[in-house]
Amino acid sequence: MTFPLLSLVVFVPAAGAAVLLFLRNDDAVRWTALGFTVVDFALSVAMLVGFDTTTHEMQFTETRPWVPALGITYALGVDGISALFVFLTALLGWICVLASWVAIDRKVKEFMVSLLSMQALMLGVFCALDLFLFYVFWEAMLIPMYLIIGVWGGDGRVYAAFKFFLYTLAGSLLFLIGVIVLYFHGGETFDILALTAQDLPFRIQSWLFFAFLIAFAVKVPMVPVHTWLPDAHVQAPTAGSIILAGVLLKMGAYGFLRFSLPMLPEASVYYSTLMLALSALAIVYGGFLALAQDDLKKLVAYSSISHMGFVTMGIFALNPRGLEGGILQMFNHGVTTGALFLFVGLIYERTHTRSIADYGGLMKVAPVYTVFLALFTLSSMALPGTNSFVGELLVLSGGFAANLAVGAVAILGALLGAAYLLGMYRKVALGPASVGARYKIRDVNAREMAAILPLAVFVLWLGLYPKPFLNVIDASVKHLLTQVHGKGSGQ
Amino acid sequence: MTGATLFQWVLASLPEIIVITGACILLILGQLVRQGQEQLLVWASVAIVLIAALATLMLAGEVRPAYTGMFIADRFAVFFKFVFYLATVLTFLLSRKYADIEGIGSSEYYVLLLFALSGMMIMASATDLLSIYVGLELMVLCTYVLTGFLRRERRSNEAALKYVILGAVSTGIFLYGVSLVYGLTGTTQLDAMAAAVTGDPRDPGLLLAVVFIVAGLVFKVGAVPFHMWVPDVYEGAPTTITAFMSVGPKAAGFAVILRVFLNPLVAASDVWIIVAVIAVVTMALGSFVALVQDNFKRLLAYSSIAHAGFATFGVVAGGADGIASVMLYLLIYAFMNLGIFGAVIMMRNGDFSGEVIEDYAGFAKSHPGLALLMLLYLFSLAGIPPTAGFFAKFYVLVALVERGFVFLAVIAVLLSAVAAYFYIRIVMVIYMREPERTFDPALTPLVRATLACTAAGTIGIGLFPGWFLRLAQHSAFGG
Repeated sequence: MTFPLLSLVVFVPAAGAAVLLFLRNDDAVRWTALGFTVVDFALSVAMLVGFDTTTHEMQFTETRPWVPALGITYALGVDGISALFVFLTALLGWICVLASWVAIDRKVKEFMVSLLSMQALMLGVFCALDLFLFYVFWEAMLIPMYLIIGVWGGDGRVYAAFKFFLYTLAGSLLFLIGVIVLYFHGGETFDILALTAQDLPFRIQSWLFFAFLIAFAVKVPMVPVHTWLPDAHVQAPTAGSIILAGVLLKMGAYGFLRFSLPMLPEASVYYSTLMLALSALAIVYGGFLALAQDDLKKLVAYSSISHMGFVTMGIFALNPRGLEGGILQMFNHGVTTGALFLFVGLIYERTHTRSIADYGGLMKVAPVYTVFLALFTLSSMALPGTNSFVGELLVLSGGFAANLAVGAVAILGALLGAAYLLGMYRKVALGPASVGARYKIRDVNAREMAAILPLAVFVLWLGLYPKPFLNVIDASVKHLLTQVHGKGSGQ
Repeated sequence: MTGATLFQWVLASLPEIIVITGACILLILGQLVRQGQEQLLVWASVAIVLIAALATLMLAGEVRPAYTGMFIADRFAVFFKFVFYLATVLTFLLSRKYADIEGIGSSEYYVLLLFALSGMMIMASATDLLSIYVGLELMVLCTYVLTGFLRRERRSNEAALKYVILGAVSTGIFLYGVSLVYGLTGTTQLDAMAAAVTGDPRDPGLLLAVVFIVAGLVFKVGAVPFHMWVPDVYEGAPTTITAFMSVGPKAAGFAVILRVFLNPLVAASDVWIIVAVIAVVTMALGSFVALVQDNFKRLLAYSSIAHAGFATFGVVAGGADGIASVMLYLLIYAFMNLGIFGAVIMMRNGDFSGEVIEDYAGFAKSHPGLALLMLLYLFSLAGIPPTAGFFAKFYVLVALVERGFVFLAVIAVLLSAVAAYFYIRIVMVIYMREPERTFDPALTPLVRATLACTAAGTIGIGLFPGWFLRLAQHSAFGG
């Protein structure tokens, strides 16, 4: 038997959560949680090191029977696409622990348990090769996330937690029906690879496409089912926002990549224009909403909707550049928006206000903070040299190739991004120092720096030399496209 | 009749005989138990059930028909009997302290529960409409009395009276259906009935009879439109009895419904349409009305109506998977529902009733472990993985889709999304409110044992459903 690396990656945080239950001291809880997440990160790095970029086949696979009577197996494995997100999740794991170090001061143990179980489940989603297993991970995430938002969130946390829970639940329950229908049409198996190889009639594909769309669109979120996101983001604690933006939103897009495209290729091609239009709508609509926000967190949240529009646009451009750009942009958005939420959290810890109007001239009191904020802001608006530029450029060129009008609208969205992000930065960081008078603001300390630096490294690395990342996903993307077009309308 | 056949018949019904004999002995000896020694009653009752369980297990090897087609001891019955044993034993364990607090710890309480158990066991094994009737009446008569056991409480008396009157009406309807069947086919045996009908199974007289029988049975599981008694009875009855009724008699009702629906006669008529409508309406009513409940017991009453609706979807699906899915659902429901009731019963201490949901505000702060258990049961009732409640629902959905009822499956999941709201609302009260009072749960070792057992079932079946699924399938196929 081979070494069960992926099982370890998935269950180390879960084991950490179990260990935490027995600790009593808050500091011990924090250090233990950090320890487990760092070990998990190391394991994910080991996975990337051992990853063979020349093949699209699933790697590090493990299969064990789980519920044989229904053909359910415990099957894990990663290809280029999921490997990237396993790595991102593991990276954000310990950054979340650092971000909650002092921000969470009550029920620390319960929080870290929720956080670590959340991480285990998210990793499980990206590794699962069995549809039932995938669904269990996918849906079980609701429990810790509901608690993270509802117990440790802001003043409107209960409403936000309910909204998040019910939206996601309603979406995924229809997905569940789709899964069961797929099970019976695909030869009574939940094996994702076997189901991918099936050739389903177009009528079934259409139905399934929309059943899946509802679940994934809620998670992404796409307009018009995005309304839970601003509430959840604003109310969630910093770590919750980082998880939401960094990983949870990626799951919807991952669902499209893993299920909709390869399993329902004809429907995906057929409805791609609809999806492109929805993406363009999200880009522009999210951008305009972000432009009108005074709350820092809301601004970043709405910018997420806009940015995720780029991701879905890239995916449904259904060409190599669009797809690679979309996947890269998923990773970039996780790093950049995760970082922006971290920055909002850092300043909120100091001033307890998120209103942009309360800030100004932060440059003078917290220079290091503002310099890094500038880096991530520029990255978010896709300045050349940062990570998002590479992704957005690929997405746009893919988008233009697929549909000229949609590409043009997306350009407008990119401009909007520059407007609200630069506006936000100007009001917060530049100008006369209005903040320092009212609040005592200290610059970032070493712990916070430890959380910021790795993210900054990825912003620049991906911006200047994206080749290693593209290499990881390359073979899988090519394979995905042959699956879509090979079985599709023969484009 | 030779001695050998009689012996075989006795052997087939040995578990029932053990429970009834044990109950009779306890009825007499229970009078000798002195005040302060009530735990003897609990242990004696548990021992009787365990002996019966042992007998059931030892006789489970083969199918034993008995009493000239009135009774059968098959794997189907064995599965249900174990659900009943589980429900009864856990009710005994929960009752000890609660009975003290409420002052209902007399031996009759335990004896009546044992008689109700024997009634349920007869229902699970009955293959004749008359023996079904005998089991049914034995069970409900005991639960009528148990519902009114809080003699000095108005609510309890009112509940018992309502239950008796409505129950009597539904029994009358059932009997009327039986008499129609007898008039049309000349028999009340389920198998012989099917053989006797040679003409059109959609004969209107026959259809009418089936509808009457279904109506009488549906009353027992609390499905719409025969659900009116459920909230009042659940709220008024002693909480331990509510816990018992929500699991045991409900499962027994489903056992009979399945047994009747296995019958080719019923399967051939289009009665499944009626059942599908009942399932949808039941689930909708239970889910929506539960949204506005403030009383925990009433909420659980409506939740149990909603769950009965979901299980009825499995009946609609029919076939081997449909039957197995209902059986698995009831087993899992027994664990999670007894768990949440155990938590409510535990809260009843001193002058604190623990019946209002708001009473639980901030419970997680002082009792994180117990709060976590409640969270587990509630998410399981809501059907969120990795708990057992999810797998129960999943398998019913699989059975529905397998038979092509995709539309019904969609309705079922949408309604369970509605139902999720009131479960997570309780989680919200427990976790996201500040405590307004100090809690002093009556956490005796017996209650702890119950909670541990139900939690193990709820999470264990959720993580490793394979074995239980095979068991349910095996029992259904052997039916």
